[in-house]
Amino acid sequence: MERIEITLNINGKPHEVKIYPNETLLDVLREKLDMTGAKESCGEGVCGSCTVQMDGKPVRSCLTLAMEARGAEIKTVEGLASEDELSTLQQSFIDHGAVQCGFCTPGMLMSADALLAENPKPDEKTIRKALAGNICRCTGYAKIVEAVAHGVHPQENCCDCKPKE
Amino acid sequence: MLLPRFDYLEPQNLEAALELLAAHRDEAKILAGGTDLLVRMKKGLLKPKALISLKSLKGLSYIKEEDDGIRIGAGTCLADIISSKPIQEKARALFEACEKIGAITIQHHRGTIGGNILQDNRCHHYNQSDFYRSGRQACHKDGGKICYARENADRCNSTCQSDGATALMALGAKLVLISQEMERTVDLDQFYTADGIMPHAIESHELLKEIVIPINNAQSNYQRLAYRSAIDYPIVCAGVLLKPVDANKGQIEKARIVVGAMGRAPLFLAQESSSLEGKNLDDTEAFQKAAKKSRDNATPFAVHNVGSTLEYRCEMVAMIVLKALKEAALAVKDSNG
Repeated sequence: MERIEITLNINGKPHEVKIYPNETLLDVLREKLDMTGAKESCGEGVCGSCTVQMDGKPVRSCLTLAMEARGAEIKTVEGLASEDELSTLQQSFIDHGAVQCGFCTPGMLMSADALLAENPKPDEKTIRKALAGNICRCTGYAKIVEAVAHGVHPQENCCDCKPKE
Repeated sequence: MLLPRFDYLEPQNLEAALELLAAHRDEAKILAGGTDLLVRMKKGLLKPKALISLKSLKGLSYIKEEDDGIRIGAGTCLADIISSKPIQEKARALFEACEKIGAITIQHHRGTIGGNILQDNRCHHYNQSDFYRSGRQACHKDGGKICYARENADRCNSTCQSDGATALMALGAKLVLISQEMERTVDLDQFYTADGIMPHAIESHELLKEIVIPINNAQSNYQRLAYRSAIDYPIVCAGVLLKPVDANKGQIEKARIVVGAMGRAPLFLAQESSSLEGKNLDDTEAFQKAAKKSRDNATPFAVHNVGSTLEYRCEMVAMIVLKALKEAALAVKDSNG
């Protein structure tokens, strides 16, 4: 098994890395590129804390070989905020108290971001279905669902949504 | 969790893939979505010397509606199947099954239909970590001589928990397998070996190319029972198909009942299926009878190895089959207008 040099497009920037073929995308992100946003929890595709987007679709980075991610546009939680400003979805998570221990949050954000890109006004059932593969062991699901529902469209009658300026 | 070492091979076309497969045989595994294969490799259940990636074989991903049926490329991802109009309308059971597989973020964009059919059988004594398994003698599937699921069993009793396979068997699907020398078509009914260790009748140099679902004016349905609605494998599932008589839409001409997650392969229950022929679509009593007989005939195949108690799973067969039959009958009535 030899090391191979590959290029990964992550958050709009190309990154050249030397990897072994048995390294997953998650290994490369965390160990080689210091992007520790995506978390490893179960390591077998059940929990969802390692979710990233490939070409806009949410996937498990622990079950995706880095070799398979070549050529795809990869987006991690680091790519959500712009410069110093959080994305509206991230801000909504904070405002609605959807972050408890925070370990599942990067995965939740990436799954929710992919959903909102496709459907900006999802109903509760759609949100719950889209996040069904992400497990939160603080069990703060109600707040997370609320944060996603108001992620793009803050609601006036919601006390947690910041008023539009 | 680290993956064992392997060589990563990336053929650029189908011929090259088949050549690699013929050269490596049992020592290589095909990597499509990897959502099942990589988990097995991480747990040390599989240690292939090489992985043949289908990344560049985009030609294996398609859904074509033709006169004789719907052709689905084996590399088609589940999300494409779920959003396909012809499948939603004419192969409803497959749509329902794919929607329920794993979760959107795990399988739907990476997982393929071919991978779902060809996923290895499971057993909660076998699908465990290296560490867990190292504390006890190896079971049949692990190369040993013991079965932890059924006492004194002389063979492996692992269970086929594929949602896709159960639905496709109910739809009467065929598989097209391709190798360097030939291409062959096999009925999904005949694709299983009844051996828990090597459950599929596919040679190590063959590749699943496509799945063909015959189209007729039949309606199908798929129901499953699992701990959670997402992530988990089914503990009982059923696919049914009801084809009405052309001249009299209220009468059943042909039925197919398939029960999954109860044995080493999805079980096509021929007797129960034919018992519905000639019956009326409103004949709830006939449906109940068929559902109960399905339970009776599926029970001997099941062992206690996929969670939940055996008694509960067996009882639920009748319920799940009845629900699927009622839904399919309703769909036939709706399509009659």
